[in-house]
Amino acid sequence: MAIIERPAPTVPAIVTPTSTYGLLKRPVSTTGWRSWVFTVDHKKLGIMYGVTAMFFFIVGGIEALLIRLQLAAPNGKVLNADLYNQMFTMHATTMVFLFVMPMAAAFANYFVPLQIGARDVAFPRLNAFGFWALLFGGIFLNLAWFLGGAADGGWFMYAPNSGPVFSPTHGVDFWALGLQIAGIASLTGAINLIITVLNMRAPGMSLMKMPIFTWMITVVQFLLLFAVPVITVALFLLSFQRNFGARFFDVAAGADPLLWQHLFWIFGHPEVYILILPSFGIVSEVLPVFSRKPLFGYPFVVFSGAAIGFVGWGVWAHHMFASGLGPVSVAVFSLTTMAIAVPTGVKIINWTLTMWGGKLWFTTSMKFAIGLIVLFTVGGLSGVTHAVAPSDTQQTDTYYIVAHFHYVLFGGAVLGIFSGFYYWWPKVFGKMLNEKIGSWNFWLMVIGLNLTFGPMHILGLQGQPRRMYQWTEARAGEGFFNLAFWNLVASIGSFVLSIGILMFLINVLVTYRNPAKAPLDPWNARSLEWMTTNPPKEHNFDVIPTVHHLDDFFHQKYEEDATTHTMTQVRTAEEIMAEQERNADKHIHMPSPSYWPIVLAFGLPVITFGLIYSHLISVVGGVIVLFAAYGWALESSTAPDSDFESNTPGSGLDKVGANHD
Amino acid sequence: MSRSRFDNLLSTSIASVRVVLRKAFRSLVVFCGASAVFAGCAKNAPQDTWQPKGPNSKIIDDLQQPVFAVAGIIGLIVAVTVIYTLIKYRDRGQPIPEQTHGKPALEITLTIIPALILAVVAVFTFGAIFKLAKTDDTEMIINVTGQQWWWEYDYPVQNEFGITQPIITSGQLVMPVGTKVLLRETSRDVIHSYWIPALNGKRDAVPGRVQTLRLEADEPGIFAGQCTEFCGLSHANMRMEAVALSKEDFAKWVANQQAPYVSPAKDTLAKQGEEVFLNQCVRCHQVNGLVRADGTPAIAAPDENVWSGAAPNLSHLMSRNTFAGAMFDLLSKQCRDEVWNAPSDVVGAKYLAGVTEECLNQKDLRAWLRNAPEVKPMYANPANLAVSNGKYRGMPYLALSEDDINKLVAYLVTLK
Repeated sequence: MAIIERPAPTVPAIVTPTSTYGLLKRPVSTTGWRSWVFTVDHKKLGIMYGVTAMFFFIVGGIEALLIRLQLAAPNGKVLNADLYNQMFTMHATTMVFLFVMPMAAAFANYFVPLQIGARDVAFPRLNAFGFWALLFGGIFLNLAWFLGGAADGGWFMYAPNSGPVFSPTHGVDFWALGLQIAGIASLTGAINLIITVLNMRAPGMSLMKMPIFTWMITVVQFLLLFAVPVITVALFLLSFQRNFGARFFDVAAGADPLLWQHLFWIFGHPEVYILILPSFGIVSEVLPVFSRKPLFGYPFVVFSGAAIGFVGWGVWAHHMFASGLGPVSVAVFSLTTMAIAVPTGVKIINWTLTMWGGKLWFTTSMKFAIGLIVLFTVGGLSGVTHAVAPSDTQQTDTYYIVAHFHYVLFGGAVLGIFSGFYYWWPKVFGKMLNEKIGSWNFWLMVIGLNLTFGPMHILGLQGQPRRMYQWTEARAGEGFFNLAFWNLVASIGSFVLSIGILMFLINVLVTYRNPAKAPLDPWNARSLEWMTTNPPKEHNFDVIPTVHHLDDFFHQKYEEDATTHTMTQVRTAEEIMAEQERNADKHIHMPSPSYWPIVLAFGLPVITFGLIYSHLISVVGGVIVLFAAYGWALESSTAPDSDFESNTPGSGLDKVGANHD
Repeated sequence: MSRSRFDNLLSTSIASVRVVLRKAFRSLVVFCGASAVFAGCAKNAPQDTWQPKGPNSKIIDDLQQPVFAVAGIIGLIVAVTVIYTLIKYRDRGQPIPEQTHGKPALEITLTIIPALILAVVAVFTFGAIFKLAKTDDTEMIINVTGQQWWWEYDYPVQNEFGITQPIITSGQLVMPVGTKVLLRETSRDVIHSYWIPALNGKRDAVPGRVQTLRLEADEPGIFAGQCTEFCGLSHANMRMEAVALSKEDFAKWVANQQAPYVSPAKDTLAKQGEEVFLNQCVRCHQVNGLVRADGTPAIAAPDENVWSGAAPNLSHLMSRNTFAGAMFDLLSKQCRDEVWNAPSDVVGAKYLAGVTEECLNQKDLRAWLRNAPEVKPMYANPANLAVSNGKYRGMPYLALSEDDINKLVAYLVTLK
């Protein structure tokens, strides 16, 4: 549902509905748990996405620590083979689908409407549904731990090893169906954000004046829109094979198991860009702010992001160089993989040149952004060595690959996310994260991640394969590059890294207990999300801004001298805010909360649970979904007291459904 | 246009560009001497990917060393530039800089330079890809079949190598040096991947497909490898070794593999072991030439008991140095070191000596016979086999008595 503004009545007044009547009326709570569970506010949902992602980050991190404990010494005994296989499968699944993607969704949900000067997303109820589907999907995925064992086929779940004979527990069923639910969340989120960005930008904000973070998120949503259906198909084939006796990947029935690999990686490679581009967007916001300069070559960064979005579809088979594609295919995918390195390299160059000639302020956020530039470059360069297909046949499925994608995903995606935490924390929570603890947070994480993932380059080049629950001294070698030493270093590093992340959690606690409020514009920022209070009002902006420049907020504060090109501050953020409040729209209508998104989302895991155990349960789930869909369709479009159409001037019912301050 | 003509066209056009670029590339290779120093640090590293021991791995190494060097240099340039920027432009109270939005000419230049570097790399990559895919000058064929969690090697009849009847073995791939060997890989269950880093990159063994990988060793030696496609519970324990023998030694190995079965002498412990074998092991494990008491040949039927339908053929078991998917050595530590560390001119003779009674790794072999699933994780619990129609994946617990184990060990050691 869209945001409706209505003409100004004569007598302004505020009424907050206090009661609701019957099932098909809308909830009205503005405080307490109901205000969260039934909310459709993009900011609340953003926070909920963030908390969920952080929780799963810790879960995935504990899984990672168990893996590193097991591999610290030869013939590790911490986990048995079965548990180890579940552990690395769920570590990857959790980090990819339940941490990085939802965390990107958290940032996107919270900041895209703010950055484009909108008051919410295009479909607020769909947005809420997406969050609940993600949460229930994530819980469903992890339920398998308690019901006979989690998925054990690796996050890539290659057929036929994922089949019922080779993976007899229900782990893979939970995995396939849980991802299906999470996929629905991604898909609805993608549609919602694309429409929001295309339709709801503030007046004057052409696409090329749109903040770069919003641009990258938009590219990601298009990638999701086309990639998620591919994995959906693949997961359906897998579920049908496992739960209904289909034989899509059964070699004895004439199937070719490489079908799965193609489907998985046609999704899986765009997925890599789905994971990294949001962080590229974050640091592309952070670097200009703390360099006091616009993003160098904004159009190049936009178009290289879009180029990655396109070329990203033509590189999937580089995950399959050893699978026997034949030399022509291998050569073609080698070339496309090298080609995608170019737009990625462009970003590194642009970030560096953004800082060049600037006035650099090394806040924690900035440090994380700089960390991303350097460490992502390491991952990018090792990625180029995989593009050299013959070289890749030596490296694939060894720890060298593990090193590569952890530099890309941890050095890239995760550092970008942490940069975003420090940058936007005052915006979201109205308080500044502690910079001193932040510094510890940054340095421990950077040292830890280099100690953990750096040695994995050596391990891989020394021939240690991935996904081994134990390694043996017989193959460890001697000398400086022996596997025993570097495995131990990596394991120690993983604990340093954990302490680094713990620092962040401590910082959150310290900040929470610190009463000091953040200033209105703590970083002297550039984009529209800073043109409102900290945290933003429920309706985001008192008046929808009109945009004249890229970095419009900065240009409202500063004016350029035409001859010397020096920038002079002409207004402060407080002055701009005060002006907005003076001219505030008198009548802002916000979407009302709704019961139905959570109910509809809850029906999904019930259906999938039934697919595994008893189809009768699925019927119950189906009824819940249908019931919720009816409720969704038939509930009144606003809260009950807000009789919107029949409102007469002076009735005092003109500002409703929102918590006004 | 047929595929091979397309290949030809592609490779000739590559060849012409390559002539121009070769010199520049060579000088880079010299520069990469530095990285060879690193490789030298890896002593006795059995799976080092930077120590090629044959022409195929050499093609890869010649390609990847300069790529690593270039990548390293670019990484260094980026790091230095970033650090320089951080120092030079840190906030020292300078005014807010001019709000420049970029310099397109600079951007385009900085886009084209990496594109050109990659184009050069691509040319050499293409060349290597097609060189490695070459199969038409193959001199010898070995069929390699993966299954959970071991490799089977099957040598089809090739009279020029004295192979007049098929040889089936497992664990160690034995091949002659200086011979272009073509592996024809497939799998009986899930996807595995064959990898001997010293000889070539990986090639997946995919059920329902036959895929090829060329191996060639320059000198005699034993080269370690591991299955690199995740294949379930004991993926970590699915190892392999390639043994390269001189042509003379290889002929001796072939002759031994084809030697007829010799039953142990009557009234020996080994003879009793043969009985145990006939009662228990022969259900899955074939020993060529073994006959039952009534004179009928003992034919193993692993397809009735094992999901993959195969179990290692144990004929001439003691000519191999490993068992259980090369997870365990048949040789005791000391004897194994003697073979593995032997210089290349004597390694063949040491290897052909096989496993003698003194050198036998009694501990691991007995532990295996006592309770195989305990020492190697496998799907072998009879209670959990409903989904695989009661068939095992791996070797089950056989509840053999210590007495039976003594007999079996005595018997197995006679399978020279």
